[in-house]
Amino acid sequence: MFRYYVLLGVRNLRRNPALTALMVLTLAIGVAASVSTLTILHVMSGNPIPGKSERLIVPLLDNGPLRSYVAGAAPDDDQSAYRDAINLMQGGFGARRTALFGIGGSLEPERPDLPVEGIDGLAVFSPYFAMFETPFLYGNAWTEVEDKNAANVVVLSRVRSEKLFGKINPVGKRMRMFNHDFQVIGVLDTWNPLPRYTHLINGNGGTVNGEDGIFIPFNAAIGAQLYPSGSTTCNSEQAPGYQGFIDSECTWIQIWFELKSASDRNALKDYLTAYTAEQGKLGRFPRKAPVLTYDVMEWMNHLQVVSNDTRLAVWLSFGFLVLCLVNTVGLLLAKFSVRAPEVGVRRALGATQGDIFRQFLVEAGVIGIVGGVTGLLLSVASLALIAEASAELSAVAHMDWAMLLLTVVLALAASLLAGLLPTWRACQVTPAIQLKSQ
Amino acid sequence: MFRMQNLSKTYRTHMIETHALRGFDIHVREGEFVTVTGPSGSGKTTFLNIAGLLETFDGGNYTLDGVDVKGMNDDARSRLRNEKIGFIFQGFNLIPDLNLFDNVDVPLRYRGLSGADRARRIEDALTQVGLGSRMKHYPAELSGGQQQRVAIARALAGSPKLLLADEPTGNLDTQMARSVMELLEEINAKGTTILMVTHDAELAVRAQRNVHIVDGQVSDLVRKAPTLFDVNSAELAAAVANATA
Repeated sequence: MFRYYVLLGVRNLRRNPALTALMVLTLAIGVAASVSTLTILHVMSGNPIPGKSERLIVPLLDNGPLRSYVAGAAPDDDQSAYRDAINLMQGGFGARRTALFGIGGSLEPERPDLPVEGIDGLAVFSPYFAMFETPFLYGNAWTEVEDKNAANVVVLSRVRSEKLFGKINPVGKRMRMFNHDFQVIGVLDTWNPLPRYTHLINGNGGTVNGEDGIFIPFNAAIGAQLYPSGSTTCNSEQAPGYQGFIDSECTWIQIWFELKSASDRNALKDYLTAYTAEQGKLGRFPRKAPVLTYDVMEWMNHLQVVSNDTRLAVWLSFGFLVLCLVNTVGLLLAKFSVRAPEVGVRRALGATQGDIFRQFLVEAGVIGIVGGVTGLLLSVASLALIAEASAELSAVAHMDWAMLLLTVVLALAASLLAGLLPTWRACQVTPAIQLKSQ
Repeated sequence: MFRMQNLSKTYRTHMIETHALRGFDIHVREGEFVTVTGPSGSGKTTFLNIAGLLETFDGGNYTLDGVDVKGMNDDARSRLRNEKIGFIFQGFNLIPDLNLFDNVDVPLRYRGLSGADRARRIEDALTQVGLGSRMKHYPAELSGGQQQRVAIARALAGSPKLLLADEPTGNLDTQMARSVMELLEEINAKGTTILMVTHDAELAVRAQRNVHIVDGQVSDLVRKAPTLFDVNSAELAAAVANATA
């Protein structure tokens, strides 16, 4: 019978086409508004590394000065000092670890007639690539030995590689930047995690747009005396010069641990607490603030990757969908009420109230499917318009299969919900009265 | 075919009580053609609706083909209606968006028959009413008489034991009315019990029995000279036995 009901539903779309079109459009607009905002929320709040997000941990150690500190308060700084980064890298805790900071500068062309080009990227330790599962197109990451030796090697993003060398394997080629010659050791395949969770506090794009074009060894960046391109927080005096900067309590480095198991997190916390206590004996960490750890999703939440505005937009759009639903209920009531004679005939010919309920609900569902497909087209169009608004929005305003499916499911669910009252009313038709009144 | 004993039905609004049927007794045998007459508001349609299980009753008993319908829920009444009863209405009541084939298909769908069985029944029924070649036509493309024939085909397709007709010729001209009446007589001759409400005295007397209803009660039963259809098989067997003794 379900197929029969679907056939009737499709056939009845043609009945009173203006009313049907109005219903489809009302549903489609409501669904498109919800799906558009939800798509952005979905991309920004999605888990960028589902397999191990609970094992990738950011520690926060509060090395700020004692002044204006309220005892027991959480760290108010999201990055670490150079000294702690180096100590923790050498400490060897966890399966893997990396410290990183954003770098930016100029790429000096081999030929003097070519323009100098700006370049952005990251200084990282070699485990970075395995920790964040970066795909390699050519070559591979540098080794721990090259980390120690501060080797001047570089891994390029695919976009940067093709921009510099075209579509060839550039491994072994040299490029000059930061006043040093670097040898290309690898090229990443397309890799744009959304949000850019490994380096959310950055100076080259933001949480979703922009791309790290180069990756060089952390120690090579220090050797080249590169200052971070992202944010730096300094709350105390520092000696002059680059050495003074890296010896200071300024925070500008992101630290990541990869744990063998998520249950090792408490052990990491104990380890870090012991570390800050030990450093306290050297006069550091005067606040004695609690150590905090965040896994990937907690870290994105902490840094409010999804802004309150985005969440508000989603709520508002769902409010709009409810309004559209109320309108659809009214339109369906109008559409179904003129079908009372048909209900009377069907009931007289043996349809139960349940049969009528199923038939009309399926018909509402058919309208929902058509509304969903129309809503899908409207969603794609509205996302294209949203993408026009800013580079950041253009990075997230695109639909994936999950959202595509959600659009149709949402429209179907909305139409079924809207169809409940009109369908129930249709079931209440008294056949005897309808049959006589015709 | 069915028996009603001391049946009563009252319609209540917050101001008025209307006794549509009271102390209503009737017994219609299998294979009979019974016409129902009476002034407007006498309870004819209420009787037909209760007989067709479209309405419930307040008191008394009603047995349809051996099944006591008192206290049956709506689903059970719908299934029984679908299985045993065919309806023909004054206003034809075809579904305008469905072609003739699909209109006749409606009661068969609810019976859960296979596609092939349904198609065979629909073609047979439409052929029987002379519209076998117009199955893909829509009701609006037909005359009133033809539409009523489609309604008869729809009622017949499910092979009901009881056919209820509420003024089936009321919207037709004399010639068409006669043609529809002949068709009903032909159907009755094949064994289907027919109960027909009519205002037409000429048609009323063509049936084997005419039930006259006044003020919700059976006031008169007019019987024609007995025919084979007036006696049930036991009576017939007894008569044959007497004749041959």
